[in-house]
Order: sequence, then C-alpha cells, then structure tokens
Amino acid sequence: MEMVQIEKVSKDSVNKAKKKLSPFIIHNLSRLGIIITLLAVWELAAFLKWINPFLLGSPSGIWDETVRLIQSGQLYTDMFATVYGTILGFVIGSLLGSAIGLLLWYSKTLATIIDPFVVALNGLPKIALAPMIIIWFGSGMFSKIILASIATFIVALLSAYQGTHQIDSNLVNLMKSLGSSKGQIFKKVVIPSSLPWIISAFRLNIGFALIAVIGGEFISSDKGLGRMIFVAGNLFNLNVVWVGVLSLMAVAIILYVIVSKMENRLIPWEDSKRQKEN
Amino acid sequence: MMLNSAQAVSDVTKEVGNAIELQGIKKHFYDKDENIIQVIKDITLEIKNKEFISIVGPSGCGKSTMFNIIAGLMQPTEGKVKVLGEDIVSSTGHVGYMMQKDLLFPWRTIIENVSLGLEVKGMTKKEREDIALDYLAKYGLADFAHAYPSTLSGGMRQRVALIRTLAMDPEIILLDEPFSALDYQTRLVLEEEILGILRDFGKTAVLITHDIGEAIAMSDRIAVMTQRPTCVKKIYDVGLAVELGSGMKARADHRYNDFFENIWADLDIQIGRDS
Repeated sequence: MEMVQIEKVSKDSVNKAKKKLSPFIIHNLSRLGIIITLLAVWELAAFLKWINPFLLGSPSGIWDETVRLIQSGQLYTDMFATVYGTILGFVIGSLLGSAIGLLLWYSKTLATIIDPFVVALNGLPKIALAPMIIIWFGSGMFSKIILASIATFIVALLSAYQGTHQIDSNLVNLMKSLGSSKGQIFKKVVIPSSLPWIISAFRLNIGFALIAVIGGEFISSDKGLGRMIFVAGNLFNLNVVWVGVLSLMAVAIILYVIVSKMENRLIPWEDSKRQKEN
Repeated sequence: MMLNSAQAVSDVTKEVGNAIELQGIKKHFYDKDENIIQVIKDITLEIKNKEFISIVGPSGCGKSTMFNIIAGLMQPTEGKVKVLGEDIVSSTGHVGYMMQKDLLFPWRTIIENVSLGLEVKGMTKKEREDIALDYLAKYGLADFAHAYPSTLSGGMRQRVALIRTLAMDPEIILLDEPFSALDYQTRLVLEEEILGILRDFGKTAVLITHDIGEAIAMSDRIAVMTQRPTCVKKIYDVGLAVELGSGMKARADHRYNDFFENIWADLDIQIGRDS
C-alpha cells in the first residue's frame, strides 16, 4: 500500500520538480533528519554519560565495530550464512508447500483427511522444533535450512490451497465446455488463478524464514547473524549486537523488495489492474 | 482457411436438419434433506440448423440447467440430447458458450484469451495466434491483442468473449444472457453485431434472456417456458430480424409490440409471486 503511494508520488515529483520541492524530496529529507537527530542525541547522551554506553551502545561505537567486522570479514561470513539459509529454506519450503497446496485441488477427499493435521502444524510455533532439528541435523547450515523450510512450508501450503478455493467455477465450466482435461484445467486455471495467494504467502514467508534461521542460530550454530547477536549479547558487547540487528534489518528489507519485484513479474495482470485504477 | 472445417461440418448437419434435439428431458436435484427438487418437468424441443432461437422464461425456471445439459456439463435425469445428430454424454467442445460474465481469464492477454479453445485442442502457438489475430483484426480489436482484459471496457470484453467462442468454430453457440451486464446502447450495438456474425458464419444460436424485446429483435423463433418445474409453454415464429435485415428495424416494426404483449401474457409474471 505504502509502496504504491511512494511510486505515485515519485511520478508526480518528476513533473513538479522544477517548480518547488516535491513531496518525494520532502519525505526523504524528513526521514533523514529524524535518523540524524536520533543518532546525534544518542551519541551526545552516551558521550556526556547521561546513559550508560556499556548497556546501550553508542553510534560511534557501532560504527567502529562495523568497520572492524567488515575488515576482518566476519560480517560478510555471518551475513552470507544467514541470507543463504533464509533464501534456500524459503525457496524449498515455499515451492514445496505451494505445489502440494495446489495439487490438493485434485482430491477433495485427501484434502479433507489431512486438514486437521495441517491446522495443528500451522498453529505450532515452528521455532519449538529447533532443538530437535539441530539434534538430528547438526548445528551447521543444513539444520537452519530445514527449519526455514518447515516454517515456510505450511504457510505456503495453506495459502495455495485456499487460493484453489477462490477459483471462479464459471472459468472451470468454460474450460470443460471447451473439452479440456482436468490436467489442462489445473494448468490453465487453477495455477494462475491461485498465484496471487501464493505470492502473498511468499511475502509472509520471507519473514518466517528469517525468524527460523535466526532462532536456530541462537540455539546452536557456528556462524550467522543470529550467532553474532547471541554471542555478543552474552559478552555484553552491545555495539556488536547493534551491528547484527541493523544488518538483519537491511537483509530483511532487501529480501522483501526482491519478493515484491517478483510479484510484478509473476502476476503482471494485477499490475495492469492497478494502473487502470490509478 | 478456417472456414473449411466449418463447411465440412455444416454439410453433415444439412442432412440431419436439426442442430439440437431435446427428447423428453427431465431433470431433478436433491436438496440437503434428500427432497426431490424438480427443475425440468419435460422438454422436447427441436432446434433447427442455423436458426436463432430464444428461450424466454420467468427467472429461476431452469433455463440455465437446460443450457448446461445441452453443453454436456450436466446429465439429464431422463431423456436424450442430440447435438448435430449425435448423443451427448459429456462435454467435448461441440458447442460454444457465452455468458453474462465475459469470463475472460484476467491473467491472459486478449490474444491468449481468444486462442484458449484452440490451445485446449492442442494447436501450436503459431497456428492459434494467427487465427486469433485474424478474428481480432476483423472486429477492430487487433490493437488490444496484447493488453490484459482489465484494461478493456465491458462491451469490448464481451466482444472478445464472442470472438473466443467463434475462434473455436463451433456449429452451435449458446448465449446465456450475454448482454445483461452491459449498458443499453452497447447492448443494442452488440446485438446487431452478433446477428451479423452469426449470419456470416451460418451458426445455430440459442439465446437465453429475460429481455423479451431482445428476444423478439433477434430471433427466428422464441420458446416461452413455464415456471419451475419447467416445460415449453409456447413457441412463436418471429423472424423479424431476418425479414427486415436488422434488429433495430425489428424493434421498430408494428408486429414487435404484438409479440411483446403476447409473450408477456404467457409469462404470467405477477409482482411478488415470481421474485
């Protein structure tokens, strides 16, 4: 929603840029102002010992740690591990879940039979499985991928299956009247018609995959941003904790933007609908 | 080139004489409590080759059930359906279908929508897009070939739906209130256009409608149905559109009002009871 507004504003800004400051620039300047003020007050408070920098960290300390962690290559290693586990788990869980959710369209009986199991698994906080998964698959990357796959699988499955329930039965009848097989109906109606639901599950799943990987890293791991935060937290090195948290934020935003771009690619017809409404 | 197959089929149907034969069709459903709901009491109707027939009846009288039976989407409880002389046991693409909703696939561009039926038939992409583009060009929609349906107006979308039906080259076209979602002017224009197209291609058409005027303006014959459980109450020979050359002229003819009054009386619609 907000994304759309920003796009709209930026289009307007092209036209008005020469006359006066566009809302686009005003918004971003204000945002930058808020961040700078916050950092300045924080730094000053830490410098004047109004707050305890040992418990809260300070912007300059965070900066020093960031530079150190980049130079030593540790930030890169940890970030790569987390991103890799998240993306792989997300892709495996989301694709497998979506595929099975869609295929359940074929058999209402099977869908009804497994329904309570799916609901039970969906209600379970998946992170509760982490200790078991780590015992079974070790503390390396593999267990994090499995965790993220499980966390995203059920959401994708439920969402895809719900998508198949929203299909306009008239479209199915039309396909039948054209003499098409069940497989053709699946391919030409069920899949594309459920895609918006699948994509919206993807957007949720990026977050879930990240939570699962970080949670797994907290419990037992040899690298990753989760481990960085956990270890630094135990050592009361708050500046490093901040580096981890901010890096995670950046990772989350980037992954979210990628999925949003994917959305425009995969369901272009929704995009042209929006354009018409504008 | 695409007309060849149509001509081959219509040569066969000329010998048969009737495009559709409904023989003693009965249909009932069961509701939740296992009670029998009788929808179609008994319909026997012969629809001649290349005629335009309208089915007019009170709402909820089972017209759409009758349609689904002709299209092979539903089996009658009793009776036989013959389309082009052959018994219909399932849906095989023998009839084209056009409904109130245009039923364009939102995720397909216009040309992909038009070529849907050909794709189901297993035609190659090149073949089907050539055919689709021919039709789109003929009806002034070539510029929109690669647009998505959501960007088109209601009238244009309904025209695309018709072209999709035509591209399949069915011998029979079923029209289930195809105009009811359109504004009045667009409706008149499309009525005229469809009459012209059906005449050009020599198709048999069955139109379901609530609109008595539309039925009179377009049809060779009109079958008036009773309340549910339905059967054919009366058949009118109209033929104004063919005689006068257009639906507009049919609407202006003095016989139009006579037909209207008679059919209205047959429908026996009383406010409060019917709806």
